[in-house]
Order: sequence, then C-alpha cells, then structure tokens
Amino acid sequence: MAEISFPLPDLGEGLIEATVLDWLVEPGQQVERNQPIVELETTKSALELPSPQAGKVVRIHGAPGDTINVGEPLIVFEVPDDTAGIVGTVPKDEAPKRRVRLSAVLDED
Amino acid sequence: MTTEPVLAAVDDDAAPLTHHQLRELYTLMAAVRHLDTSAVAWQRQGIIPAYAPELGQEAAQVGSGYAVDRTRDFVFPTYREMGVARAMGLDMVGYMSTHKATWHGGMYNPLESRFAPIQAVVAGSVLHAVGWAHGQTLAGQPTGEMGVAMTYFGDGASSQGDVHEAMNFAAVMKAPVVFFIQNNGWAISVPTERQVAGGSVAARAAGYGIPSLQVDGNDVVAVFEATRSAFAHCRAGNGPVVIEAMTYRRGPHSTADDPGRYRTLNEERLDAGEDPLERFKQRLLAEAIADEAFFAEAQRLAEEEEETIRRGIEDLGPRPGAEMFGLVFQEPTPALQSQATAWREESEHV
Amino acid sequence: MSETITAMPGTTDVSAASVHQMSMQQALNRALDEVLADNPKTVIFGEDCGRLGGVFRITDGLQAKHGEDRVFDTPLAESGILGMSVGLAMAGFHPIPEVQFDGFAYPAINQIVCQIARMNYRSRGTLPMPITLRVPSFGGIRAPEHHGESLEALFAHVPGLKVVSPSNPHDAYHLLKYAATRPDPVIFMEPKSRYWQKGPVNLSSAATEVSANDDGTAPSGSLTGARVAREGRHVTLVAWGAMVSRCLQVAELAAEDGIDIEVLDLRWLKPIDAEALARSVGKTRRAVVVHEAPLTSGLGAEVAQLITQSCFATLKAPVERVTGFDVPYPSGDLEDEYIPNIDRILFGIQRVLEYRRG
Repeated sequence: MAEISFPLPDLGEGLIEATVLDWLVEPGQQVERNQPIVELETTKSALELPSPQAGKVVRIHGAPGDTINVGEPLIVFEVPDDTAGIVGTVPKDEAPKRRVRLSAVLDED
Repeated sequence: MTTEPVLAAVDDDAAPLTHHQLRELYTLMAAVRHLDTSAVAWQRQGIIPAYAPELGQEAAQVGSGYAVDRTRDFVFPTYREMGVARAMGLDMVGYMSTHKATWHGGMYNPLESRFAPIQAVVAGSVLHAVGWAHGQTLAGQPTGEMGVAMTYFGDGASSQGDVHEAMNFAAVMKAPVVFFIQNNGWAISVPTERQVAGGSVAARAAGYGIPSLQVDGNDVVAVFEATRSAFAHCRAGNGPVVIEAMTYRRGPHSTADDPGRYRTLNEERLDAGEDPLERFKQRLLAEAIADEAFFAEAQRLAEEEEETIRRGIEDLGPRPGAEMFGLVFQEPTPALQSQATAWREESEHV
Repeated sequence: MSETITAMPGTTDVSAASVHQMSMQQALNRALDEVLADNPKTVIFGEDCGRLGGVFRITDGLQAKHGEDRVFDTPLAESGILGMSVGLAMAGFHPIPEVQFDGFAYPAINQIVCQIARMNYRSRGTLPMPITLRVPSFGGIRAPEHHGESLEALFAHVPGLKVVSPSNPHDAYHLLKYAATRPDPVIFMEPKSRYWQKGPVNLSSAATEVSANDDGTAPSGSLTGARVAREGRHVTLVAWGAMVSRCLQVAELAAEDGIDIEVLDLRWLKPIDAEALARSVGKTRRAVVVHEAPLTSGLGAEVAQLITQSCFATLKAPVERVTGFDVPYPSGDLEDEYIPNIDRILFGIQRVLEYRRG
C-alpha cells in the first residue's frame, strides 16, 4: 500500500487559507473521487471540497475550527501499490496447494 | 440539431408523456442511480471484482430503454447499459452477475429479455443489430408493425470500422435499426475531440443517407421522444436512424480507473453539465407533477431494490465447471467430452 | 543435482550496480524508455498509451518525457492501429503499437495476417516491417471477456511473424529491447498476471548474451533461444509466459516426492528453440508441455512434434500436454478451473513417469 497526500488546494482568487468547519469523512473510510470530504470556510464563503481521489482515508488534518494554509497537508489516502490497470484483479502469490502426489519407480537406464 | 435527411415518418403515438409516465421515468432513473453507485461500493467491499459505472448517463439510458417495445423489438447493449437493462425490466441479478465474474454475457435470458448478451467487444454487436433488423424485413414483417433493433455504442466505438460497415449495410438494406450513440465525452482517457473527427457521430449518418438526431442526452424526456420517433420511422419501413445522445461519463471508466490521470475535477464540473436526475426532479417539481414525498418514496424504493439485488448477487455461487464444456456447442464433440471427463477426474472440487 | 536459476536468467554479470529489483511492468516501461531514447524512429501508440500511460501503465510517463509525436493515443480501432503501423514502417519508422488486451487483436487480424506478416515478402524484401506489437496476454486476473486469451498458436501459425513471451522482469526488459531493434515483425506477448511481481533485472547489456547453462552451451540461455529456468533429471516441463512460474512451483513440489524436474522457459514461440528442447528432453527423456491456450492445435502440439523428431528413440513416454480446454476462456469464477493448475500438471508428470512401452 502507498499513501497519497493531498494539500489544501488554492480555492481561487488568491485565498491563502481556509478554516475547517466539518469533516465529512473519517480515517478508515473508503471515499470515491468527487465525493465531498470536508466543509471549509474561507473569507468569501463556505464550501464543500470534493475528493480528488478514490481510496481509503488514512489521515485528516485539522479539527473543526482549525485554519489550514494553502499547500499544507489536508488529507492522506491509502492506495494499492499495484493497481490492476483498467480491469481485473492483481493475482496474489499464494503458497502452492496440491492434492496429487507423484509416485514413480525410476529406472535410470 | 437535426442533420438532413429528416425523419420520414412522424410517430403516430407522439402524444406527450403522461404525468404517470414522467414519474415512472424518474423512479427508474433513481433506481438506476442508486444501483450504479451501490455497485461501485460493492466493488470496494469485495462483493464484485469490477464494475463499469454509468453515472451521469441515466437519462440517456432510461429514456431510450423506455421506448423499446418488448413484444417485438430487440436491444444490443455494450457492457455499460445497466440503465437500459433496468428500464426494460431485466432480471437485475442476472444482469449484474457479469460484474461478479459469474458468466461473461450475464445470466439473464436474452431471448425473453429482448436484450442481447452483454458485449465486451467495443462495437462488437453493432452489425448484429443490422442483421437482426434485416431479418425482420426478410421475415416479411408488415410495414408499420416491424420489430426494430436498437444498438448501443459510444463515441469510442464509433472509431471502429464495424460501425461504418453497419451503417452502410443498414442504409443499403433499409434495415429497421436504431443506432443509439451515447457520446459521454470519454473513451477511457481519450476525449471525444481526440476520438471523433468532426466532433459528431450523428453528422456521419448523412454520408450514408441515414436520418440522424443529436439530442441532449441528459434530458430524459428529449431522449425518450427522439427514440420513440426513431422507432416509428423504422417500424414504418423507412430504414435506419442514428441518434447521438450527448451526455457525460461522470465516473471512472471502471472501478480500477483513475480519472485524475487525465482530467481534473474542475474540468469534470465544467463539462458534466447539470446532473440529469436533479434536472428532471426540478422540472417535475416546477410543473407540479411530483412532490418531495414522491422523491423520498422513489429513493426508498431504489434502496429497497438495491438490497434485494445485492443479496441476490451475494448469494450467487460460482457456476459449476461442467458448464464450461457443456455450453460450447449445441452438439458437443467427443474430444470436448473427453476433456470434460479428464477435468472432472483431475480438478473438480466437490 | 537440481539448481534453481530464477534469480538471474541468462546472466553471469551480477555486479550490484546493474541489478535492480523491479516488476515486469517497470522493466517493460524502462525498456521502452531506452528504446525511444536510442532510436528516434521508434514511435509508440495505441489506445490510452499516451496521457494515461496505458491501462497497465507500461507506457507511463513516456509521453511526457519523449513528446506527443513519439508516444500517442489513437482513436479506438485496432485494425486502424495495426494498419497504420504498416504505413509508418514503410515510411521508415519502427512502430511499437499496443493492442490493449489479447482479445482486441482479433479485430486487427486482417492487418496483422494479411499485411504486416507479408509485406516484406510481397515487396521482395524492399519493405521490411520492423513492428513490435505489444499484446498484454493470457489470463489469471478475473477480467471481462476477451481480456484473458492466449493467441500464440494463432500468431505462430502465420508465416512472416515472430512471437515471443517473457516470463520474468529480466527477460521482459531484454527481450523487449531486442524485439524493438529487429527488422521483422515481432508479436510481444506480455503475461499480464505477472506484471506486478518483482524480480531482479540486470540492466547490463552483457547480461543478454550469456548462457544460463554452466557448461556454456550457447545459445540456450541467449536472448534468441529458450532458457533453462530450473535444471532437473527426470522430466522436462516446457512452458512460457505466466506458466513458467507455476511450473517452477510444481518442480519444488515434485522434489518432495523425489522427482527432479527441469523447467524449460521457451521464451520464443516462433521460432521455437528446437535445439534447447532436444538438449533438455534428450537428458530427461520425458516431457510435459504446459500452456493456457486451448488444447487442440495449440502450440503444445508443435512442441511435442519437435521433441518427437529429435528424441523419438530415447523418449520413455509420449509427450504429454497440460493445457486450457477447448472452450472459450471462462469468466473469473471459473478461471481457476480452466488454467492448468498444480494438480493437473502433477497428473501430467505422473502419466509420463508411469508410462511403460509395450
């Protein structure tokens, strides 16, 4: 598993920080891309920030009321190291299982 | 936009949709939306290995599927037509079983459902629709009552040579077939402008002398009406029609896709347009066709339905391995039967 | 005395500086990166190869690094991709097209068989086709229909095509670089179920030319031939692609029963290294061919004939085949029933062990 960290993005018009109003997701939760993850308040407005990534939330930064600067860590996701590409499942390397035993009288002629 | 030549026949059943029908359309879209987003969650929960979401295409799929006459028409889907399947009343456990990797074509009965097996090959079944439609002509179906084939494909599939062959065949043979294109903006990572020269699949129809309609694919009523008039045109013996429903693939190509590699959230927001469900809801509210209680009920029904389907999928065990051998031919060969015997002796898990 | 040679196939140069631990996915990506850098006439294209980096990320980052003229997305049409490759080759380029999945090669068969494979012949050698067609191949990842097929016999049957399939990251790196510098069309079949397993890759070019055999009997370890993946005395398992690692597992299990298995990784499926087959089976006198593709007219039949031709007099048993069945590649739930499993391979070994003439 790898971790991907997303910083607080520039929310536009030169804003340099935002205040966390409420987290809509919590660590351990699977979120989808575009799913709202946090309510933020800037000096201009309150807004819901959509998730840039599908994955499992590992950490969130900032409790309600905390101020986060643009560029500082906001949320960390866990994603598989080896995504299976566009379809399919990465096979697991499992210990070999057998039912059949070999028996042979080997004449080494 | 309508490109020449125009549709030759006007639907004799062109009456506006009743309030009941409009509400039914919404109920279907709500069911499809909830099942679709749930299926992504099923994948995350390990219930199914993969899924191809159709989020954002509910209006295009439900609106077109709702126009099919299940007593005489036949639909040829791709692998992303869950909304059409639901609108046509398919056994949805049988449909979703393809995403559980139970059986490639799905477990529903295509003949009874009037819905061909799920097709993984892009543009793979477009010519089949032409053949089925020409079969209606050959069978001497009376004009005005002909069965119509509807083939679904996307902007990506429109690049395949088979699509061009199909359109040409259909036009030459005047086959009663509706080519229903969902132009959802993306073929995995490639946007329509890098896929479709000229920007419109519908515009190509003119070259084959086929009437075409480009409709707002996020407007379920517009999609339904376009499809209904196309069916009437075909049924009357006037040959094929091309419909291009302009919509947007709001989700990933599949549950393993990462759209962040090729488009930004901001681009998605700008390009996706208005959510087809929300938009229809606002219309129904504004025209006092439905109230909040109706929408709450639609959501409740959707959730209930999803639970039933999920339980069905969870209960679905793997097919017996013997089916691998038994379903290859109608008349099995001795060689295949001996392979089946060897398989049973060496690896059947009982 | 058996020896497992899985770490560094075909290699004696194991200087730490040139050995890297990487997945086959990374090894292929690196090979393509170097091929693009080495030869300005190479171009990579296909569906989602550019910005996305391919659905398996084999071309990841190559467009950003080498530019959109060298690495590009095409519209979604396999026949178009392969047909355009012919014209690019005629114009002096070395195309490295990708067909996104094995089953998507079927729509391009016309261009592959009727055009790529025979333009050199048709033009009396004046229009060579230096095309390296990459095809993520074989099954094992619970994918949808047409995403798990084994087309090697189909390709090998076509005059004018060469076919190769690596089984590990090291071979993948060197074989792709080798294929992409050849003047003839090569179908490069990548075992997609092995994309993510890591292994040592010796990046030194010297690592490509050394025999895997201790006695130095070239060319069995060289890039153009088969590779002895494990030495053994009693039975030869012949395999390629993803089946090589399964055969190595089987060999370990057989050793518990006192049976010493040699595993021959064929690598080239056309031309097949007949000398390596003769050398190995000449020693073990028993052979089992293992492949995922269906049995009938599969490549196992060709391998069995080559062994019979060279070893008929000393063979202790007819060559056995353990393969997929004559059925369409099944859905994920039945995949493990289809692909040769450990027990079926052991049964095949048992059959050649207990066979008695007369």
